[in-house]
Amino acid sequence: MTEEDDRRRVTERRSPNEKDATAMPRRARDSGRVRAAIRTELEEVAEQNETKQPAAARNPQNVVVAIDHVSLAFDEPILEDISFDAKEGETVVVVGESGTGKSTILKLVLRLLVPDQGRVCIDGEDITHLSFDEALKVRQKMGMVFQGAALFDSMTVYENVAYPLREHTTLGEDEIEARVREKLQFVDLDPDKVMDQLPSELSGGMKKRVGIARGLANNPEIMLYDEPTSGLDPLTTATITYLIIKLQRELGVTSLVVSHDIRSAFRMASKIALLAEKHIAFFGTPEEMTGSEDPYIREFLGGF
Amino acid sequence: MILERFNAAAKRGVYSLQEFFVLSGKALGFIFVKPFYTADLFQQMDTIGVGSLGIVLLTGFFTGMVLALQSSVQLQAFGATDYIGSLISASMIRELGPVLAGLMVAGRVGSGIAAQLGSMRVTEQIDALNTLGTDPIKKLVTPRVLAALIMLPVLTVINDFVGILGGNVIAKFYLGKPSALYWRTVFEQMLTGGFTLRYIPNDFIQGLTKPFVFGGIISLVACHFGLKTTGGTEGVGVATTRTVVTASILILVVDYFLTQILLAVFQP
Ligand SMILES: Nc1ncnc2c1ncn2[C@@H]1O[C@H](COP(=O)(O)OP(=O)(O)OP(=O)(O)O)[C@@H](O)[C@H]1O
Ligand SMILES: [Mg+2]
Repeated sequence: MTEEDDRRRVTERRSPNEKDATAMPRRARDSGRVRAAIRTELEEVAEQNETKQPAAARNPQNVVVAIDHVSLAFDEPILEDISFDAKEGETVVVVGESGTGKSTILKLVLRLLVPDQGRVCIDGEDITHLSFDEALKVRQKMGMVFQGAALFDSMTVYENVAYPLREHTTLGEDEIEARVREKLQFVDLDPDKVMDQLPSELSGGMKKRVGIARGLANNPEIMLYDEPTSGLDPLTTATITYLIIKLQRELGVTSLVVSHDIRSAFRMASKIALLAEKHIAFFGTPEEMTGSEDPYIREFLGGF
Repeated sequence: MILERFNAAAKRGVYSLQEFFVLSGKALGFIFVKPFYTADLFQQMDTIGVGSLGIVLLTGFFTGMVLALQSSVQLQAFGATDYIGSLISASMIRELGPVLAGLMVAGRVGSGIAAQLGSMRVTEQIDALNTLGTDPIKKLVTPRVLAALIMLPVLTVINDFVGILGGNVIAKFYLGKPSALYWRTVFEQMLTGGFTLRYIPNDFIQGLTKPFVFGGIISLVACHFGLKTTGGTEGVGVATTRTVVTASILILVVDYFLTQILLAVFQP
């Protein structure tokens, strides 16, 4: 993905949004200011990317997540001979219709599921045949944001974000609190306001952001997102899309995003994988996708 | 066609049974393996034990009273109403206390555990635990099983006591027997069942082994059905119902076989 494209994408976003502002009722217009702020931030990110390399040294040749001829069936086949990979620092977005097995792919990467055939490699290590305890170790490299956030509802926001730290590190309480605050601020939440709240007291968008903060707490090298923007209003969608881009740019985190929001997919993807009829129908850059003549892809892109 | 479906159902049943035993093995094994989730254990002991105290007190007391009322009719026919204490003591400690406490806890705690773990499953919180590097069995199942193993015998002793107390009320106000006589027959009964290791009355062994086993049954069945919940919120309801039905049936069936074994091993 070149910087040119980024900027184009950022500016492209303007027009539909401004149209929204007039077409949509009060709440949207009220939030126009916030939206403008986000837009400038997005532009900033794009500019930063032009001038400086991301903080983390990364080797774009390293394949971090590799899915290699994977097949999986539950009662009936869900995935057949799926292959694609994510290189270091890339954001790969898996798109596809509902129920095609997108979440299932993330569960395979986390080794919550084991493929019937083929293998899944993380950092070059085949994780297919790991024992349960070894799998727990590999998962520490990854942060996952679940479709419904999956916050532990018996714990406060603070305890939720602190959970991976308590589980895997020997950090003292001060350091844990500092880390929790840092991550909550990163996802644009006011730590003092939300820390003592229970997940049931949060809005959908806030839950997702706490979910991202929890996924990030351990500073993972791979982030997995399951529908990070589904069911959210356009403003929150923009904020979360921006967060994912920011993470990739600032920390060089390799990301695998599952989404059926093709618009935000295009905004953040280095590569897009289109899942259809149990197969990967397309895998390549967003530019290649828009340039494709394939009728199914054209149809899927539809109004975009 | 029918045969095929029967075959598939049988396979699922065997598979589910195997899953149940694997879960049980792991959950019990983890009792002795670090890390210990002590805070979770105490919280569960509170929910299971303290939380069930009310219904156990209530059911125990009324069962003791109705038992005394019913048997007084029978005993009057033989002119043996002096021995009402023995009858209540034996039936509460050996049978009714453990089984009633078991059934009550299966209804209250078993359904609660199944619903909680079930909704954690369908909202992906179980996956989240796995992802964050925690073994859900160690974190969720083991503390619940251990808490139930500890608390059910405690609840049963309480249940026994208030049951016998209920009998005391009827003996005194309905039959007009003095409390001293009632309690003397209660204690005499405890000693007639013989002793193990010289000092432990066999009635106590029966009365405490049973709730221990029932505690394991209830918590494991509930965790099993809770964790394998599928199909959204509707699935949570299914898991809850299955838990209560299965645990209650198992309690009654296991109670029979356990009684037979215990009577054979600990003879007076
Ligand atoms: N544990 C399971 N057991 C049986 N079938 C399952 C299981 N998990 C998923 N499936 C089935 O696999 C298919 C793919 O599910 P998955 O959740 O991956 O879809 P998805 O692409 O993420 O859909 P959505 O966009 O709605 O989230 C579905 O048809 C689902 O019914
Ligand atoms: Mg999904």
